[in-house]
Order: sequence, then C-alpha cells, then structure tokens
Amino acid sequence: MARNWQPDFERLVDEHQSMVFSLAWRMTADRGLAEEIAQDVFLELDSHITRIESPQHALFWLRRVAMSRSADALRRRRVRGVDLWIEIEENHGAPQEERSSPLGARLEQLLTTLPEPQRAALVLRYQEDLTPEEIAATLESPLATVKSNLQRGLKLLRAKAECNLKDYVRPGKSLGGARADG
Amino acid sequence: MDELKPMNEPESIDRMNEFENQLRQALVRRPAPPGLKRRILDQRNLRRTARFHSRVVLWQRLAACFVLAAALGGGLTWRHVEEQRKGEAAREQVLTALRITNHALNEVKARLAVRDE
Repeated sequence: MARNWQPDFERLVDEHQSMVFSLAWRMTADRGLAEEIAQDVFLELDSHITRIESPQHALFWLRRVAMSRSADALRRRRVRGVDLWIEIEENHGAPQEERSSPLGARLEQLLTTLPEPQRAALVLRYQEDLTPEEIAATLESPLATVKSNLQRGLKLLRAKAECNLKDYVRPGKSLGGARADG
Repeated sequence: MDELKPMNEPESIDRMNEFENQLRQALVRRPAPPGLKRRILDQRNLRRTARFHSRVVLWQRLAACFVLAAALGGGLTWRHVEEQRKGEAAREQVLTALRITNHALNEVKARLAVRDE
C-alpha cells in the first residue's frame, strides 16, 4: 500500500498544517514565529517529498522536523538574548477568543514556562497523543529520558498550576485535585 | 474542563488522570492561520521559480563555458596545425635549396673535371 502511495503536497499541507503550527506555537509561544516555522517545515517537506514513503512517514517526518525547527528557533532566540517569556506576556500569542477556555489558556501558558525538553515531551504526549516510545523516536532521545521528562514536566506543571491558577480554584478545591506534593 | 475536584480526594491517580485530561483538552490542536496554506504554496512557487531561474543561469553558464572552451581549443588546434604547415613548408624550402645547391655543385664539379682534362 505504502509503495503505491504518491505524496500530494497540497493535501499534506491541508491535513497537517494545524498539527505543525500547533507544535511550533506551543514550543515557541510565539504565533508569528510558529507560522514561520510551519512554513519552513512544509517547504522542507517539498524538497524532501520524493523520500516520503507513506502517510505515516509524512506525519512522523513533519512532527520530527517541526520539533527540531522549534528547538532551533528557541536556541537562536537564546543566543540573541531575547526574553521569550516577556513576549508571551505582551500577548504575542493567541487571541483570547481562539482559546478553548480560560483555564486551558492558563495551563497552556504555564506549559510554556517549563524547560524545553519537558515541554516538548508534554506537547507530544498530550497534543499528539503519542506514546513515550513514539516521543523518543520523534525527538531522537533515549526512552528513559523521555519518560523522565514526561514525569517531571507533569509534576512541575501541576505544581505551577497549584501556585498560579488560584483564580480558577474554588475555595476548598484545587485544579484537578492537583497538589504540589501529589 | 473547569469541573474541579476537592483537594482532599483520596485517589491521587484519579487526580493525576483528571489533570492529564485537562491538559489534553488544553492542548488540542489549534487551527492553522487562514492564510498559512496560501503563503506556503506561494513560497513554494517562488522557490521553484528561483530554482528554475538558477538552473537556467547554470545551464547558460555551462553553455558559455563550453563555447569558450571550444573556441580556445579550436584556436589552439588551428595554431598547432598552422605551425606544422609552416614548418613543413620551411622544410620543403630547405630541401629545395639543398637540391639546388647540390645541383650547382655538381655542375661546378663537372666543369672543373672538363677543364682538368
């Protein structure tokens, strides 16, 4: 089946632009930069399209390149000394109406404050619903590292949610029952 | 999503699961910006056009190099052939001169022989 598959660039863009853009946005927390990354990823796909063997291969390739380009962009920013998280506060990200709910938006914002490897693992786990093995293959990291990043990232995010999302926690209740010691 | 559970709920696994569900819901894929696909396709066309132009320029340069090399090679070959021709002509002239000299010497020798007799 895979051998008979012919990649159609426009169709691949249609199917995966949302995924690539979302990955880049969540990794960089910058909408403009995410659009640039998405563009670059698809243009790179265009130049490698003859090597793509199946729809699954295309999906895997796009995820891997999107994560890698996002990491490169973050590295370039760090080298330039740009404070990424100040830009987030300047509302360079999504308009409020695009967000699913205030709590979701805050969780998403908190996610961007996590260290990059933990953020990458969590985004792939909870946005793309990948298994740790698939995440390890996508990020080209050891499985143990990925599992550790997932565990630590989730714990740190819960702790941050406990501290920062008090607006959304009704008296006597907490976000998903999340506790810093839990 | 905003359904919150009491903090003292005993099952930490449930709490974690709920937190994970909330995170999963918060991290649904966002729709791509409306113009993204068009921009990608425009960029792709621009790149292809640029690639095509650079290929044309490359072929033009290659053709120009080929013409120059051919002209240079032709010139060198012509010069070599011309030099050979001139050398051959000079050799012929020298041989003719030698033949004439030889003939003249033979005549002088014959006259001297007649006179000595």
